[in-house]
Amino acid sequence: MTLSTPEHTERPATTGGAPRATRTAPGGHTPRKRVFNVRRGLTIAGFLAPAVLAVTVFVYYPMITGSQMAFRHWNLNDLTDTSWIGLGNFRDIFADPAWGTVLSNTVFWVVASIVPQFLIGFAIALWLRRRFRLRGLYQALIFFPWAISGFLIGILFRWMFNGEFGVVNDLLQRAGLISQPIPWLADPDTAMTAVVIANVWYGVTFFAIMILAALQSIPDELYEASALDGAGRVRTLFNVTIPSIRGTLSLTVLLRVIWIFNFPDLIFGMTGGGPADQTHIVTTWMISIAQQGNYGKASALGLIVMATLFVFSLFYLTATRERKGSTS
Amino acid sequence: MRTRNMAVTLAVASALALSACADGGSAGGKSGAVHISMVESLTNPSRTVVLKKLIGQFEAQNPTIKVDLISPPTDQADQKIQQMLQSGTGIDALEVRDTTVGAFSTNGWLHDMAPELKDWSGWAGLTDNATRYSKDTKGRTFYIPYGFYGLTLYYRTDLTAKAGFSTPPASWDDLLTQASAVQKPDLHQYGYAFRGGKGGSNLAVLQIEAYVADKIDRDDAYKLTDGRTIFAAPEALDALNTYLKLFQQASPPSSVAWGFPEMVQGFSSGSTAFLLQDPEVIATVGQSKAINTGQWNTAPLLTGPGGKGCQPVGSAGWGTAASSKHKDETAKLIEFLAQGDASATFTKENGLVPVVKSAADDPFYKTGPWASYLAMNQSPDKYLTVVQPRSVAWWSEWSQKADADVQRMLLGKVSTKDLLADWDAYWTAKWKNQPNQ
Repeated sequence: MTLSTPEHTERPATTGGAPRATRTAPGGHTPRKRVFNVRRGLTIAGFLAPAVLAVTVFVYYPMITGSQMAFRHWNLNDLTDTSWIGLGNFRDIFADPAWGTVLSNTVFWVVASIVPQFLIGFAIALWLRRRFRLRGLYQALIFFPWAISGFLIGILFRWMFNGEFGVVNDLLQRAGLISQPIPWLADPDTAMTAVVIANVWYGVTFFAIMILAALQSIPDELYEASALDGAGRVRTLFNVTIPSIRGTLSLTVLLRVIWIFNFPDLIFGMTGGGPADQTHIVTTWMISIAQQGNYGKASALGLIVMATLFVFSLFYLTATRERKGSTS
Repeated sequence: MRTRNMAVTLAVASALALSACADGGSAGGKSGAVHISMVESLTNPSRTVVLKKLIGQFEAQNPTIKVDLISPPTDQADQKIQQMLQSGTGIDALEVRDTTVGAFSTNGWLHDMAPELKDWSGWAGLTDNATRYSKDTKGRTFYIPYGFYGLTLYYRTDLTAKAGFSTPPASWDDLLTQASAVQKPDLHQYGYAFRGGKGGSNLAVLQIEAYVADKIDRDDAYKLTDGRTIFAAPEALDALNTYLKLFQQASPPSSVAWGFPEMVQGFSSGSTAFLLQDPEVIATVGQSKAINTGQWNTAPLLTGPGGKGCQPVGSAGWGTAASSKHKDETAKLIEFLAQGDASATFTKENGLVPVVKSAADDPFYKTGPWASYLAMNQSPDKYLTVVQPRSVAWWSEWSQKADADVQRMLLGKVSTKDLLADWDAYWTAKWKNQPNQ
């Protein structure tokens, strides 16, 4: 039996043979050699130009402009003095008493959100892979939250977690789990938990979508082969399913870490970073500083976020690539 | 291939030509009408409807002027306005608030409308307060107020009567007593709709101002007449301690995070018996299905131990962008909105304290929930009108800091004494470093 795993299909078809460009095509015709001339170059440049222009104008220009603000005194409330202050804004950030809380909150926010999102999303994807009646409807219902704005979800959850009028306390009291309402968003200890719960609910969908798509690309023959070899469900999961979609899993986790790190909407809608700045993550704190008009300090914080995510991505990609290399 | 290239070129050229035509249209166009862009800040759907109606009337009277109203969501509006002003294009008339006028004018983004409004007949019809807020200390007119926001006490007549009180609270101490008596957490009945979230520090400062009313600088209500900050006064500590008790004894525990929507919901849903809010809430509470009009009323602001209260009036109005190419037409629009029926309609339908003198004769402002405003205006020595330093460049920085500090105090992370010392140091340093503000 021939196994057609993704790794097999990704393997170069020209191993030991002639280069792909000069390979004889089916039917015996030799493909015309592609010649790179000026006219062709101009055509390519013409097609690329709009995208390059758009990215330059809307991404790189604002990024560079924003970056230089980080090294200047740039307060929107008084732009009469925008002098260069070197690393002054960065020193301000590190000296701020809120910085430690913001940093630990950010780590908690990312880790506590992504682990349940991943596990629940994976479970939903496995469940949706099976064929059953109204599967399409269930899929649509499960994927729906992803289409809602994060800020709107924040406002909805803000009311749901309201200590006096919220449905969460009402349900818990009716179920006999609590006797007194919990002031979820008013207590720093429970507020962070509440925003993480909301984020888990929101983000599960993305994992489910991505993992389901990857699962559907695994050939049935693999499962048939593992069944013939006597593998149980758990062994099939760890020896067939997960290795087959490892690439998707790595990429999805990476994307989600970056997005959750950069996802202030929900916290802003639910707590605004409060109570007493206890639920600020780096990006909500950055927005609140920008709202005060201090664009210099906010830009410096933006650069710190960018650098952190860049370093994380490098480490993560290197680590996952090594792991993949060692197991293949 | 050549034909396809030509088709693509033609399509791009047509698109560019069309966009150029569109741009030309907004700047003047073939009709000869001048288009002015107007941006609002305190956007809400019902207010936008009123504004559009008034703009329609203005356009009917001035067929050569067309007004394009831009209504960004309130939360982001001031930032969007800042960006538009900074870019120097696309904005003629804009909503200017007492909290933004300082920064906008410091950056040279606002036009001094004094020359255009020099001979305006509407000046005579404005109330003294409106005239006062229309000019800064240097005589410049950066905005004409469309109305004022002033706090009043909303209270439940039935609950207070049931608790044995025949009159509404007159002082902050009375409020603490009555709200504590009404509070029954087991029945989900709470005393005061406390504001601990965004904007919560305003009410703490309001109480401090009432406690130091005898020696407050009315033109800069964060200062005492001897030049120190109000936070340095011994009475400020009494005020803040009472404020903390109000939260601990007479408010819902989760109100430490309550902002505007939660506190209004708290009162209009019948959960709380007292609320301090602007007059725009009159309409909202009036539409409540949980409490009917016979169950609530308003009362004048609360006084301190000296028997006086302070009314820090909030104002907002319409101004002209310095970059506007249609300053005369914009001034015409602002004149229209600031006088006569247009002004009266806008304030009445949006629940604002009016800016035109003629409103004083309107029965609307003399009865029902509005009567408490009349009572305050009739006792100017008891309810002092004060001006808070909201136009200083650091106001938004202060507001965020103060809100977070109040939350820290409510959560027991900082004492009232230390909080006041910090606020005193903050304002003393700001005034020292930027004496011109």
